[in-house]
Amino acid sequence: MFKSAKLSLAVAAIAVAATPNFVAAFDGIGRAATPAEIKAWDIDVRPDFKGLPPGSGSVAKGQNVWEAKCASCHGVFGESNDVFTPIAGGTTPADIKAGRVANLAREDFPQRTTLMKVATVSTLWDYINRAMPWTNPKTLTTEEVYAVTAFILNLGDIVPADFVLSDKNIAEVQKRMPNRNGMTTEHGLWTVKGKPDVRGTACMKDCKKEVVVTSFLPGSAVDSHGNLIEQNRPIGPTRGLDTSKPKKN
Amino acid sequence: MSDTQRTVGRLVKAPENFLAKDDAKSPETMRRKFLAAGAATAGLGLAAAAKAASNPVSGKGDPNILNLPEHTTGLGMPVAANGYGVPSKYEKGLQRRESPGLTRVSAASVAFTPLQGTFGIITPSGLHFERHHQGWWDIDPSKHRFMINGMVKRPKVYTMDDLMRLPSVSRIHFIECGANTAMEWGNVAVPTVQYTHGMVSCSEFTGVPLSALLEDCGYDKKNGKFVLAEGADGSSMTRTIPIEMALDDVIVAYGMNGEMLRPENGYPLRLVVPGVQGVSWVKWLRRIEVGDQKWATKDEAIHYIDLLPNGMHRQYSGIQEAKSVVTSPSGGQLLLDKGFYNITGLAWSGRGKITRVDVSADGGKNWRTARLETPVLTKALTRFNIDWSWDGKPAILQSRAIDDTGYVQPPVQLLREVRGTRSIYHNNMIQSWRVAESGEVSNVQVS
Repeated sequence: MFKSAKLSLAVAAIAVAATPNFVAAFDGIGRAATPAEIKAWDIDVRPDFKGLPPGSGSVAKGQNVWEAKCASCHGVFGESNDVFTPIAGGTTPADIKAGRVANLAREDFPQRTTLMKVATVSTLWDYINRAMPWTNPKTLTTEEVYAVTAFILNLGDIVPADFVLSDKNIAEVQKRMPNRNGMTTEHGLWTVKGKPDVRGTACMKDCKKEVVVTSFLPGSAVDSHGNLIEQNRPIGPTRGLDTSKPKKN
Repeated sequence: MSDTQRTVGRLVKAPENFLAKDDAKSPETMRRKFLAAGAATAGLGLAAAAKAASNPVSGKGDPNILNLPEHTTGLGMPVAANGYGVPSKYEKGLQRRESPGLTRVSAASVAFTPLQGTFGIITPSGLHFERHHQGWWDIDPSKHRFMINGMVKRPKVYTMDDLMRLPSVSRIHFIECGANTAMEWGNVAVPTVQYTHGMVSCSEFTGVPLSALLEDCGYDKKNGKFVLAEGADGSSMTRTIPIEMALDDVIVAYGMNGEMLRPENGYPLRLVVPGVQGVSWVKWLRRIEVGDQKWATKDEAIHYIDLLPNGMHRQYSGIQEAKSVVTSPSGGQLLLDKGFYNITGLAWSGRGKITRVDVSADGGKNWRTARLETPVLTKALTRFNIDWSWDGKPAILQSRAIDDTGYVQPPVQLLREVRGTRSIYHNNMIQSWRVAESGEVSNVQVS
């Protein structure tokens, strides 16, 4: 009897370990969020514009805000590549019509700008509102966020220079986003059970006839990351290479 | 052939020539340096013999044995000399480092983990890779709040006191930035494993299963399809996560490797999303919102989208597929001599457990199966080892991971056929390290 009681205790212990004994509600833990608290933090704007506060802002106002708070990093025309990748450029009237940015298919096109990539205008509004300006995020007024968004859209000729962007017309603007048809979710990388697009093979012997080195580290890059001897241990099976000396061949 | 290291066949053993300046000042160090230099010279003579000894000695024996050092004949340091212990001064080479030129603003940048020098599967917390979008903060935990709102019956606010009172789990998982190995899509670009693969780390995380908190708030089981995770930093990082994943193994974590999260890793609260790229593991986590549509946030609509050759972008990619890399010997290292080596490396899969790792020393013609060291855990780094005797001839080292879905890590050519060379994210190609006759190891790609 004693033995079997002990056994059933052990079984109970295992069951608890496998499924933590969570209760539906935790007594005395947490409290109801107040409406003001939710309003203060729930600032996200979805592609269907859920969460977008009512308001408006003009391209002209946006230009003023841009020059005061944005241009030092992004350039007067959103073209700067000095601090961040460019905001505008690379899109055409044909792209606005098709909803696909043709330059994205060009291997020789130097850079992907924000307007070339972004499919959803809500993304611009949400991000400017939550994270800009760089050193003072969340300090723009709702009107300023509408205005800066309008200014950027005008840089890409998506809206005219006299445009006033608002919660009333933003859905119409969405229909002119140059890359609005440029996204696909047909891939296996969203869920654990997704289907892989590329698979290797587990060949073990004589898997290929010859091995050709197709790419070496460019000579200019050998010491581009500092002296590698200083990035390895001074003991062990290897040492770091001394890349402070000119390489001899 | 004029390279000294090549003439000797391999490396001159004098590690003391690489000490930090303040260490080199001590007379004890200088003495050892002198003695070591003598030993190294003696070693050269012996190396000319048919069989090189790995630890050559002349005269009566090794002065490191014959002359008792100060640490054997003197009194050592007292306890608690360091209230929080730090690595040995001889370990200064292993640091998180930026890749010069990769980014232009250090507050929106990356510092890579020195995988060339880590052991086992746990990344020391101080060497965990860093990726910040708008700088990092050390937040006062008594003022940090966590909110759940959206499609829930009871929107709630939790303090850290609340969260730390709840039942916790501790789980070991890898975290890999989606852009790890991004620089190698088109060609070899960086010299060492720190820069090719150092945006992966692995820790034991402790916290509350998100499923328990969603349940506590009465989430909408019928219409809630996604959750949005949001950070408390300036960028207020946001990512959409499917509800099945949120209910499966996602953790609202405060602990990392037995202590609280480090500030650079989200102190006091971060999301742990096993198997998914690091950007979804939102740091300084302030809010979870339950919703019925995806959010298309900046980091899932402008960045972290994968460009395909036809100009389309894959959106909402997140899973890190099976991948592995040999961490030693690896790029930018120099082998000491011919003879025995333990080829060691790391393998991981965002879809489950690693079941096998094969290693090639001839650029992928022939493979041998490596030993997997325990523990082998789901969505965690797995350490592999395999014996190798280097004959002094050129070799190309590779590793290939297989996970419990049967997925086999692909060579770069197969990835390029489908995804081209500009998709930036999710590069899980087989890595090649070329060992030259000089013992020099370098990053290459092979066909």
